[in-house]
Amino acid sequence: MLGKRRFLGIGVIILIFLFFIPMMASSAEKKVVRIWHTETEPQSVKAFQQIIDDFEKLHPDITIKQEALAWGDLEAKLTAALAAGSPPDASHGQAVTCASFYAKGLLRDQEDIAESIGKNNIWEAVRRQCFHDGKYYGIPHSAATSLLIYRKDIFKAKGLKPPETWDDFIKVAQAMMERDKDGRVTRYGLSLPGVGLFINIAVGELTKANGGRLFDRKTGRPTFTSKEVIEVLDFYKKLNDTVLPPGWLGHGYLDTFANLATGKAAILYQGYGRGAGYIERYAPKEMANPDHFGVLVKPRGPSGKETAAQIDAEPWMIFKNAKYPEEAAMFLKFFFKEENYIKYLHTVPIHLLPTLKSVRNNPAYQANEMVRKWKEWQDMQYRYFETGQAKPTLIIDWEDLRLPFGLEILGSGIVPDMVTDAVRGMPSAQAAAKAQARAEELITKLGYKRW
Amino acid sequence: MSIVHRYKTGFPTLPLRVYHEHMNMNRPYHSIPKSLAKPLVSSEVQHQISKSKLKRRQQLAGYLTIAPALVLILGLTLYPVAYSIWLSLLEKHSFFPQERFIGLENYFYLWKDPEFWSSLWLGVVYSVWTIFFQVILGVAAALILNETFVGRGLVRGIVLFPYMIPTIVAVILWKWLLNDTYGVVNYWLFALGIVREPICWLGADHIMLSLIVTSIWQFFPFVLLSILARLQTIPPELYEAAKVDGASAFHRFIHVTLPQIRGILFVVILLRSIWMFTKFDTVWLMGEGAGAGRFIRTLPVYAYMRTLTYYQAGLGAALAVIMFAILVVCTVIYFGLFREEADIG
Repeated sequence: MLGKRRFLGIGVIILIFLFFIPMMASSAEKKVVRIWHTETEPQSVKAFQQIIDDFEKLHPDITIKQEALAWGDLEAKLTAALAAGSPPDASHGQAVTCASFYAKGLLRDQEDIAESIGKNNIWEAVRRQCFHDGKYYGIPHSAATSLLIYRKDIFKAKGLKPPETWDDFIKVAQAMMERDKDGRVTRYGLSLPGVGLFINIAVGELTKANGGRLFDRKTGRPTFTSKEVIEVLDFYKKLNDTVLPPGWLGHGYLDTFANLATGKAAILYQGYGRGAGYIERYAPKEMANPDHFGVLVKPRGPSGKETAAQIDAEPWMIFKNAKYPEEAAMFLKFFFKEENYIKYLHTVPIHLLPTLKSVRNNPAYQANEMVRKWKEWQDMQYRYFETGQAKPTLIIDWEDLRLPFGLEILGSGIVPDMVTDAVRGMPSAQAAAKAQARAEELITKLGYKRW
Repeated sequence: MSIVHRYKTGFPTLPLRVYHEHMNMNRPYHSIPKSLAKPLVSSEVQHQISKSKLKRRQQLAGYLTIAPALVLILGLTLYPVAYSIWLSLLEKHSFFPQERFIGLENYFYLWKDPEFWSSLWLGVVYSVWTIFFQVILGVAAALILNETFVGRGLVRGIVLFPYMIPTIVAVILWKWLLNDTYGVVNYWLFALGIVREPICWLGADHIMLSLIVTSIWQFFPFVLLSILARLQTIPPELYEAAKVDGASAFHRFIHVTLPQIRGILFVVILLRSIWMFTKFDTVWLMGEGAGAGRFIRTLPVYAYMRTLTYYQAGLGAALAVIMFAILVVCTVIYFGLFREEADIG
């Protein structure tokens, strides 16, 4: 008869074997490739998983683990993972992130992936998202631009004309506001996200639309005290004082869509194609269509000659020092195969525009009800891309992507703090000077000062 | 012998002479026969040797037993603290191996950095107000829940709810309640005629207040639970005696309850102070660092930003070390001020 203790001891040993042996065996057999992306909507995660499942059937020795991360969290999480020495094998990232990581020698080039897609098949408008020294270091998973989304029905009813300048824009937004009999605002003219990332995006595109720059072309020195940037701050002040809800600095991106869909705001300046899906889901049924929610060309600033928008097209990055970069590259080649890629694009059809030119006219891609219904929204994005008016976050022209500190400026909160200072009453020039000093100090401390 | 004397010494005192005779202590050593003395000495020495051996063995066994714990403490607590201090003396990018020793330069930089002072001040405001109201609310709720009433068990379960739910859920819940365009709080304030325009609870002017309210709601159950546990051990005779003496409810609280719970209050305030001063998740989720979040950018958030969004690991570590030093100094002062409570606690 086994004693109680011996019996327990044997039990514990069996348990250890049961837990650890399969783990050791599976880790010895399988290569686990970690992939981070920013498409968090359930249908996108599901479609991505289906592509993974199909890939794993062809490569039984590889397991792909996807992790969908909130857009605003991505950079901080990537940095933490890099600091810990365990980056994912592949990940989405903004263009400035990709540029910073390239400058720091962290990325594997993706020439082989570009070859497998067909280099000429990559849409010219997004080729330079992460293209350095003649090589691809990132190929965007899809493409989109920011959009000015407005309540078309109200706009028409008021007989308004599309605004061309910022002053026109404020007048249009004011005209679309609504008050009750006691003078209380029941619909604001505009809704903007007050989250740091979106203020960075807006300042970048507004500065471009005002003919300005955020960094000197030659030296990379911040140009926040330039006339064009100060005019951007003045514009923010005017918006804040006239057409924005008083609490806009506390609003998230989704709050702005909620405001639009529920009639609390008439215009979004920082809308995206993804919003079409939100409108279909959350706006009253009879209103959930492009006749009620349209898109307009964004206005330009007083010193600008043409408008600007922001490119939202995260390149896939593959980390050289990750565990399985080659396997990640294999997976991305599979991901970009048209039959797989279209499945992914269709999960958010108006936001995920194809990076591959061949897909745009593919009947399988076109055979999507939303693509047909919200064509106006897609066309506006194509317009920004084709005219070169759309650029990535904080980037005024493609040369800015050579600056190695975009990621640090983006994360620092210096630009959002500058806007917050201005709308809270600090003179624009003073807010700009404060931000300029902080940015210069940061760049100097990071060792990137070139002026 | 008085009862008091017996109580103080713990046993009745024997006359010294009787005690010495009993213990054979009055007999001089040389008067003991050799036959008796020798084996007595050697067995005593032997006994002492074996005793000291045993003691050493026991000590060794003791050290071996605590060795894993010591290694863990050294590895998981002291090493990171020491490494943080070392890191704070470097200029280092957050994910690059390159580093440069710059001595105390990070500290001098922070001394002149307005963001640091602003974060410190915001952290103090946040900690003081949240702790104050957590304690008031926690003690009041504990007193109520210590009384007997129908459904007490259910109410006890419900009030613990905020402490049990994940922070992310708590913050999203409050952000939804407080939203200025579709939030329930503004809806009711408006419906009741208390406000004419919606209050921007999450805007720059009120976000600190919203954060404080959220944190009080989330963490007061910890105070409640601790105080309630102590209240349940107070002998009811004390209250009965006070009642007999004619003490009102207020006086019973001041003279019976408060002295009984001061030890646990000391510990609770200490723990909550440390936790609130270093609180990151609630604050970060409420403000996300920028926009209106700038007005709740407390020291932990600023340290996080310096490390993982400015990518200046050295400065981030310096901020962490400063936070640690502030907490150590405050804890020492706190222990000094409330020495008696510290002994009870």
